[in-house]
Amino acid sequence: MTALDGVSLKLASAEFVTLLGPSGCGKTTLLRCISGFETLDAGDVLIDGAAVTQMPAHRRPVNTVFQRYALFNHMSVARNVGYALEIAGNDKATIRTRVSEMLELVGLEGMEKRSVSQLSGGQQQRVALARALAGKPKLLLLDEPLSALDKNLRQKMQQELKAIQRELGIGFVFVTHDQEEALTMSDRIAVLAHGRIQQIDVPSVLYESPANLFTADFLGESNLLPVAIDGGQASLADGQSFATTCASRQATLLLRPEALGLAKPEGPKLSFSGRIAETYYSGKDHQITLETAAFGTVRALIRSGATAPEVGADLTLHAPASGLHLIDEVAE
Amino acid sequence: MKLARRKVLQLIGLLGAPSVFLLVFFCGPLLTMLVYSFLTPGIYGGVDWVFSHLNYGRILGWADTRYEKFDPVFLGIFLRSLRLAGLTVVTSLLVSYPAAFWISRMSPGRRDFAIFLVTLPFFVSLIVRLFAWVLILRPTGFLNQGLMGIGITSDPIEFLYSDFAVILGMTYVFIPFMFLPLYGSIEKLDIAQLEASSDLGATRVQTFWKVVLPATMPGIIGGSIITFIPSLGNFIVPSVLGGAKVLMIGNLIEQQFLSARNWPFGSALAMMVMAAVLLLLVVQLRLARRGDA
Repeated sequence: MTALDGVSLKLASAEFVTLLGPSGCGKTTLLRCISGFETLDAGDVLIDGAAVTQMPAHRRPVNTVFQRYALFNHMSVARNVGYALEIAGNDKATIRTRVSEMLELVGLEGMEKRSVSQLSGGQQQRVALARALAGKPKLLLLDEPLSALDKNLRQKMQQELKAIQRELGIGFVFVTHDQEEALTMSDRIAVLAHGRIQQIDVPSVLYESPANLFTADFLGESNLLPVAIDGGQASLADGQSFATTCASRQATLLLRPEALGLAKPEGPKLSFSGRIAETYYSGKDHQITLETAAFGTVRALIRSGATAPEVGADLTLHAPASGLHLIDEVAE
Repeated sequence: MKLARRKVLQLIGLLGAPSVFLLVFFCGPLLTMLVYSFLTPGIYGGVDWVFSHLNYGRILGWADTRYEKFDPVFLGIFLRSLRLAGLTVVTSLLVSYPAAFWISRMSPGRRDFAIFLVTLPFFVSLIVRLFAWVLILRPTGFLNQGLMGIGITSDPIEFLYSDFAVILGMTYVFIPFMFLPLYGSIEKLDIAQLEASSDLGATRVQTFWKVVLPATMPGIIGGSIITFIPSLGNFIVPSVLGGAKVLMIGNLIEQQFLSARNWPFGSALAMMVMAAVLLLLVVQLRLARRGDA
């Protein structure tokens, strides 16, 4: 079975790259290829310019934060964090200094003597991070480290992880299936599906101008509308059209829900009329599902204002024609 | 309040019968033995109700009367029992540890079958199994015939009635006792911890000493204790495979009760075994408590 195929990924030093994809897409396998727990049938892994493909896991200059932390239950926090240094044969004073440095970095000052089983999930997460960083790896691999934490703690840890990465200036490869997490933390995101990298780019490019339908659909909410292109004009099913430089005859228009609004914009625009089928209020905005005659369901995100949309009412929404993104693929 | 009273009644109902049973059939005989060990042996067997500390004196060195003399052979047998039981623990650990590791990595179906195989000897009478070993080990047995057949030795080797035969037999009998607690702790070992150790730079050997061994220590200690205790007091294996040459403390106690009819001395010997076992348990508890802290 082929878990990964034709994957090429290059990290700048001190870059935060996220491998994002649905479960079973091969992102964890890719991580394990880098750490040395999976062997490659073909290809190479290079770290700092040196090939480590044939190097066993324990000699590679990378460390991993495991999904369920994999802390050593029979050791204290200090021995867990100092494990890499202990193995490397450092003297006790060096280890003690480094351990307290690391615990300070992750916000667990003075917890050296605690037993791992006495810690909360968030604290165990921090110990796992400190343990992986103590040996000064050139690259840190993180395998869905935040998936076991509750939402508030997860957001806090996201910010802390990012801050720690910036402070240390080493590369992080972060695996997640949570797109929001990927968007907020990463310098670049590699979207994986079916063992291949679908697209790799900075978060804003991935979100605003995805290269293919998978990325568009996987990242965020999207309305994907088929368009026909003729002579530099793309036309929708209901006859509305806008200018484009796309050379194909058929393509798909990506319309993010937040691009739609109640106000009529100046200049060229697209308009969608229909009946409101569902609305959800989420505090700062309303999520609206609009049933249109020409396109079926169109989803929109409207800023909360004076008028609350009501189910069953008729509504017309507009999107400025500038900033529309065409994907050179046809949805099935 | 009503609820609490109902709970107390429930507890008495559930625990009452087993408590009484243990008190009568476990603590009772033990207490009898303890009392007897401080009495004077009757001339025609039984006991005379006269206090005597000489039963212990005969073992430990202060008895010096006409009938009750200190003889270092008793202490020698006691020490040999400790040694043989200790070696039995070591050999069964060496056999069971890799086996438990191997079995814990099998697919669930094969794993259940393998555990069934480990416990299979329980279904056959101990005496039958031990006499099978006599057939294998005796001078004209399968082992010697095999060895002579392939020319390793020209004369049969004395396997039977030796320390070797007793350790082999006890190891064979007590392997399931060692295996099951070991398997329990090895199966719980998180594979991710081994990967984490390797990821942090440890070789397989370092991972074994620093992660695998400490993490499975509860199983090792548990298995060792429940192997050591029955090995120490065992008298069937040494009497079948050790003969008259390898006498263990269990055989000595049996002789005192059944042949020599010196119940107080037999009781004193039994108390010595009890003391050794209790000492071991106390040490283990101390170590476990220190491990927790």
